[in-house]
Amino acid sequence: MAPEIFWGLPVILYLFLAGLGAGALTVSSSALLRGGGGESGIHFDIARYGAFLAPLPVMLGCGLLVFELGSFHVGDWFKWLNLYKTINLSPMSIGTWLLTFFIVTSLAYAYTFLPNPPVLGEKAVRLRRPIAWLNVPLGIGVAVYTGVLLGAMPSRPFWNSPVLALLFLLSSLSTGVALILLARAILTPRAGNPGAADTPQYHASGYILTASDLLLVGIELVIVFLFIMFAYLAVGDVRHAIAVILAGGDLATLFWLGFVVVGLLVPAAVELYYIVPRLLYHREFAPPRGVEIAVSVVVLIGGFMLRYVVVIAGQITGPVGV
Amino acid sequence: MTGNPQHNGMARRKFLQASGAIGVAVAAPTAAAASKPARKKRYGMLIDARRCYGVHACSVACKAEFDVPLGHNRSWVEYIEKGTYPNVTRSFLPRLCNHCEKPACVSVCPTGATWKREEDGIVVIDEDICIGCKYCIQACPYDMRYPDPVTGTAKKCDFCVHRVTQGLEPACVEACPSRARIFGDLNDPESEISKAIATNPVTVLRPEKGTEPNVYYIAADHTDEREPRIPNQYVRVDTNRRLKERR
Repeated sequence: MAPEIFWGLPVILYLFLAGLGAGALTVSSSALLRGGGGESGIHFDIARYGAFLAPLPVMLGCGLLVFELGSFHVGDWFKWLNLYKTINLSPMSIGTWLLTFFIVTSLAYAYTFLPNPPVLGEKAVRLRRPIAWLNVPLGIGVAVYTGVLLGAMPSRPFWNSPVLALLFLLSSLSTGVALILLARAILTPRAGNPGAADTPQYHASGYILTASDLLLVGIELVIVFLFIMFAYLAVGDVRHAIAVILAGGDLATLFWLGFVVVGLLVPAAVELYYIVPRLLYHREFAPPRGVEIAVSVVVLIGGFMLRYVVVIAGQITGPVGV
Repeated sequence: MTGNPQHNGMARRKFLQASGAIGVAVAAPTAAAASKPARKKRYGMLIDARRCYGVHACSVACKAEFDVPLGHNRSWVEYIEKGTYPNVTRSFLPRLCNHCEKPACVSVCPTGATWKREEDGIVVIDEDICIGCKYCIQACPYDMRYPDPVTGTAKKCDFCVHRVTQGLEPACVEACPSRARIFGDLNDPESEISKAIATNPVTVLRPEKGTEPNVYYIAADHTDEREPRIPNQYVRVDTNRRLKERR
């Protein structure tokens, strides 16, 4: 009989969605803080999309987590509130508080982007930058903590790796960028329509996002290499655990095809194709909407596949010897 | 007094601080009598695998003692078969919660629903607090915890805390027909278990996980299917529970 999977699809989706929201908020806040030009600058568009997109996946993911709780299954609907009665050094306890603050600040941040906020009115804009300063550490904290949550246990050798949290952080930022790219590509009015068209400004901020994503994907590839290589060079538990994603392993196809090829190599190749001419020869950067949408979608699929493979692989492998 | 003198001194100091804090004036002789510290216990178990012949009396007694749902076990006996005929052996490995000195399950619990008892070192779970996040189930290197589908909380062996606090032995110890199990206080050098551990070669399970188990074994076969002692040696492990493979 196959090993029992205690953390199933709700937890996998949560890890993906929390990373997605955390990445989007971190990207949005950093774009706001570092990019100049005010509301007409090319960074503002990125910040605004990220601000509105970030809270939703995180709240959805947290809701899914509650569905996975044993207490919820037996009808103790609100027993999870026990999480708020204490704080300790358990990664899950720290994560609970991080997520709570994250949801509060991300909602407040999104509020400051509303055109005519009913409360505070024009003053809300003045809160935007101070909140963004909170968002960056909180967003990185949420993204890293999802990896620490899994990595904290010697009993799960596949997860017990210091680079797993880093891999999750990079994947979070990359999927966050992809989410903003996707929303922009779908929601920005097309050329010929009244209002904003495929302006140079749209493509200027698109270039920043695409180039950032390429950089993130590149670093991700390096981390994937390190993750596998050091596990492969280890002995005992970890060496046996990593075999599950190596050739012949149960999750090898999903990992290499679903995550590395679809989620990393394909988007990296397409992004390179459009970025290199601009980077080296200062040609125009104007990828079609369809390409932007396709690249974003495969990056998101890759992010989900990473969480899926890691969460399942950690649970179907275990300590060797007794 | 057999306890650690430094430890006694600390306990006494704590008592005096506590009595001072609540503002109780106590006469000196009474204080001396009351502060005579109850030496902390550290319950542990020693399992002599040579004496175990796999009758599963412990598993049955454990199931009978607790309302363990179908498909789950708080304790079980594993069979380890190895070798090629005629050079073969089958050994038995009774498993239960190790009540570790550094329990991995406790350090990951986000609600404080599980903890190691100060007074006797038993690792327990408070069902009223546990939310069933299953983090401890992931964190235990011995796969000792299971999600109870009735209560929605994590459950595990608790050394029969309701029995041992009444001076009885755990149900598995009492049921064992071959006296393969010795239960007792590891902090008492005169206890049967302490003497047996001191005079026998003992091992613990998965010491590399850093949990410092309090369940010791004599002559346990640590062989695992995935890492046989001799390359390509036939090894078969049967856990005799729903999950047939060890994890």
